[in-house]
Amino acid sequence: MQKEIKHTFYFTQTPEEIWDYLTKPELMEQWLMPSDFQPVVGHHFRFTNPNNTFVVCEVLEVKPFTNLAYVWKNDWAVTKTPYTSKVSWTLTAIEGGTELLLVHSGFELFKDLVAHNSGWVFLCNKLGELLKVPKK
Amino acid sequence: MSTQTLDAFQVIADPSRRQMLMLLSKNSMTINSLVENFDMSRPAVSKHVKVLYNAGFISITDIGRERHCVLKQDGFNELQEFINYFDKFWLKKLQKLKNILDNKLKK
Repeated sequence: MQKEIKHTFYFTQTPEEIWDYLTKPELMEQWLMPSDFQPVVGHHFRFTNPNNTFVVCEVLEVKPFTNLAYVWKNDWAVTKTPYTSKVSWTLTAIEGGTELLLVHSGFELFKDLVAHNSGWVFLCNKLGELLKVPKK
Repeated sequence: MSTQTLDAFQVIADPSRRQMLMLLSKNSMTINSLVENFDMSRPAVSKHVKVLYNAGFISITDIGRERHCVLKQDGFNELQEFINYFDKFWLKKLQKLKNILDNKLKK
């Protein structure tokens, strides 16, 4: 079973320019969602989904022009199926531009599962082997 | 309480049911052998088994007088779809970011 999402994108701009689009709310809003993000570790913020629900986040890592990571979970106050996960961005200067790597990982379904994470990981691994889930 | 059909997330929210799935990930088991692993009555175990069955996490085959439980993929597919949803979400968003930046370059 696939447990994390990875995408690598290449840009002709510099890491500094891309960084702005990952960290300035007015620029983030243009391609992602409106938020009250601040590039400060420990800062709690929310993205607003088009349907007015929230993605509840907390900044985990800020290394300017290189690394950014935050907690990404749905609004546990209103959802029946709470989950938490982690979004992390890595920028690498390459010849002629920037490589941007996104990893969305650590999917833990239900608060209850947070405490049983090792079990969940074990189960997923086992199942992956057993069922050999074909990737769509 | 009758056995209701729960969605995949509700099914795995229960620690006993997760434990059962883990046991079954090692080997197929009869309901009786499952019962031996839990500090609960046979009817209680049967009820959880029914929930797992209804949500497509296991299949049950009667062999003689025994009921054999085997893992099934359907229930897990629903969990996989959750991950797939975000996969597409990010791909769409990143393409949008790329378009914005490419257009900026042209100006």
